Amino acid sequence: MPIGFELTPDQKELQTLASKFAREEMAPRAPECDKKALFPEDIYRRAFDLGLMNLNVPTEYGGSGLALLDQCIITEELASACGGMTTSILANCLAIQPINLGGSPEQKERLLKPFCSSYHLASFGLTEPSGGSDAAALKTRAERRGNHYVLNGQKCFITNAPQASLFTIFATVDPAKRDKGICAFVVPRDTPGLSIGKEEDKMGQRASSTATVIMEDVKVPLENMLGKEGEGFRIAMQTLDSTRTPIGALAVGIARAALEQASKYSLQRTSFGKKIAEHQSIAAKIANMTIELDASRLLTWRAAWLVDQGHRASLESSIAKCFSSDAAMRICDEAIQIFGGYGYMRDYPVEKYLRDAKLCQIYEGANEIQRQVIAREFLKRFA
Amino acid sequence: MDVIVCVKHVPDAETRLRAASSGKWIDPDGVKFTVNNTYDEAAAEEALRLKEKCGAKSVRVITVGPARAEEALRYVLSMGADEATLIETPPDAQLDPLTTSRLLAGVIKTLPHDIVMVGKQAADDEAGVVGSALGALLGLPSYAFVTELSPDATTKTLKMRRYVEGGEEHFHGPFPAVISLLKGAADPRTPTLPNILKARKKPLTKVPLADAQAKAQALPGAPVAGTVRSFVLPPPRTGAKMVEFQTPEEAAEKLVKLLREEAKVL
Repeated sequence: MPIGFELTPDQKELQTLASKFAREEMAPRAPECDKKALFPEDIYRRAFDLGLMNLNVPTEYGGSGLALLDQCIITEELASACGGMTTSILANCLAIQPINLGGSPEQKERLLKPFCSSYHLASFGLTEPSGGSDAAALKTRAERRGNHYVLNGQKCFITNAPQASLFTIFATVDPAKRDKGICAFVVPRDTPGLSIGKEEDKMGQRASSTATVIMEDVKVPLENMLGKEGEGFRIAMQTLDSTRTPIGALAVGIARAALEQASKYSLQRTSFGKKIAEHQSIAAKIANMTIELDASRLLTWRAAWLVDQGHRASLESSIAKCFSSDAAMRICDEAIQIFGGYGYMRDYPVEKYLRDAKLCQIYEGANEIQRQVIAREFLKRFA
Repeated sequence: MDVIVCVKHVPDAETRLRAASSGKWIDPDGVKFTVNNTYDEAAAEEALRLKEKCGAKSVRVITVGPARAEEALRYVLSMGADEATLIETPPDAQLDPLTTSRLLAGVIKTLPHDIVMVGKQAADDEAGVVGSALGALLGLPSYAFVTELSPDATTKTLKMRRYVEGGEEHFHGPFPAVISLLKGAADPRTPTLPNILKARKKPLTKVPLADAQAKAQALPGAPVAGTVRSFVLPPPRTGAKMVEFQTPEEAAEKLVKLLREEAKVL
């Protein structure tokens, strides 16, 4: 099959829809939500109404059923307006993906359909206070008692937790078994014993909410376990494999916004009698930012395309996420530099991009873990 | 009741325009085209409301343009129209508004139509001709600059409103008719993602230019309104001054000072 870079008419229309929503509805609210750490629920509702949430859920269960490449195209547009809002919108895809991947048809019908039929948020609970990258070492316990499991433990840095009505929680029946002991559960918000800790005050992505999920003797019926006992780790890793690439696209969106702002400013601002874009040092910055942005997008599209063709793409999705988020940090950093003193001021948009981009290097698999995956996958070819 | 809405694929308002080497129109290369043409979108929205609120049977969207204009049709199909027709011109064709009207009228004549809606003018050439011309060519009443309409299917009458100098006119008239919209009763809807995907499967008919021309031949009136001799972009504006400020009060103070002392208009 030939390689093509032209978007299909469908993809162009999805892009136009996302771009319009981003530009007209998300962007005007972004500065205030960032400053005051507001959670713009009306924006998220509107995203749901437009079909921009639950992109990865098959249409028979009420989602949009989009290919990963289409999801990436939409994500870039949304993130160019606000990284934080985009994270909250995407968090549903992450939280629901374990049901998509590990749920039985009965579970999908019972859990996904009502969830997707109207506006709801969901949260993905894997990370714990004592560890994120070493997921197999998680401590939240699941104890089998008759026809249900009892969960005890804490999940931290959980996106959308304060507003979520559904949680996918990973817990272990025996920590000594490490990955072999982990199970995946779907836990509704109103289950007794489940509570939400205080909302975190974050450096960036402040339009998104983040909190701890506390579980004290939370009873989950057997029918809410995804897959079999011990299959939770595989479900979690497969989930992250498929949601990693959109994080690359999210970073691309933030970086694109930074580059656009910096480019416009460099053509406006003058020094020594000419536009600063005409100074070689600034032009070189713009060139490097353009190169890195282009490379990020292409890596992201490639990883998504591979997944859509049915390939595993662990190596390529890690490369996409890792490179795009690192590049986004460099691009946002240079954007501030081009703006000079103004860039450092909160009245100008570029410092927000840097704070928002930083999270892309950390969540959904820190870049250190991505590099381990990349090295491991690549070295396999020589072993 | 069958509703037809005519739209035009126009350059996006934010796109940077250059004159074509012919010197007669813009250079379409690298220009982003869109249907985000305020008046056409209002017409499309109003056409869909006729279907949803007043029981119109179908909404068909029509355009005259090159292959790329299919995008405009797909957009209105995504908004909710049922069918589309593209009268396809060569990519470099530059039509005067009367020719466009004649091509549209020729094809519309062959389709069921009780109400034909258009935006009051296109966002690019702003000619504002098609609405009235369609009325004349189709032999139908044509109501211009309408802001609100409600049809009564039994009496075949339309109640309409429009702005006039100093007030608003409430009037009525018979249909079938052609209506040019200034704005609709509601903001044009944004197509949702599922509707965008559904629109892909809706029927879109392409009418070759020669067929449309043949249909237009029998229509009355002059075939061409005028020919463009040259197209020039306005000279770049100079002399703009940016006022930097911390508070609105400070901005106002600085502005007044500049208006009084430099521009000397106060």
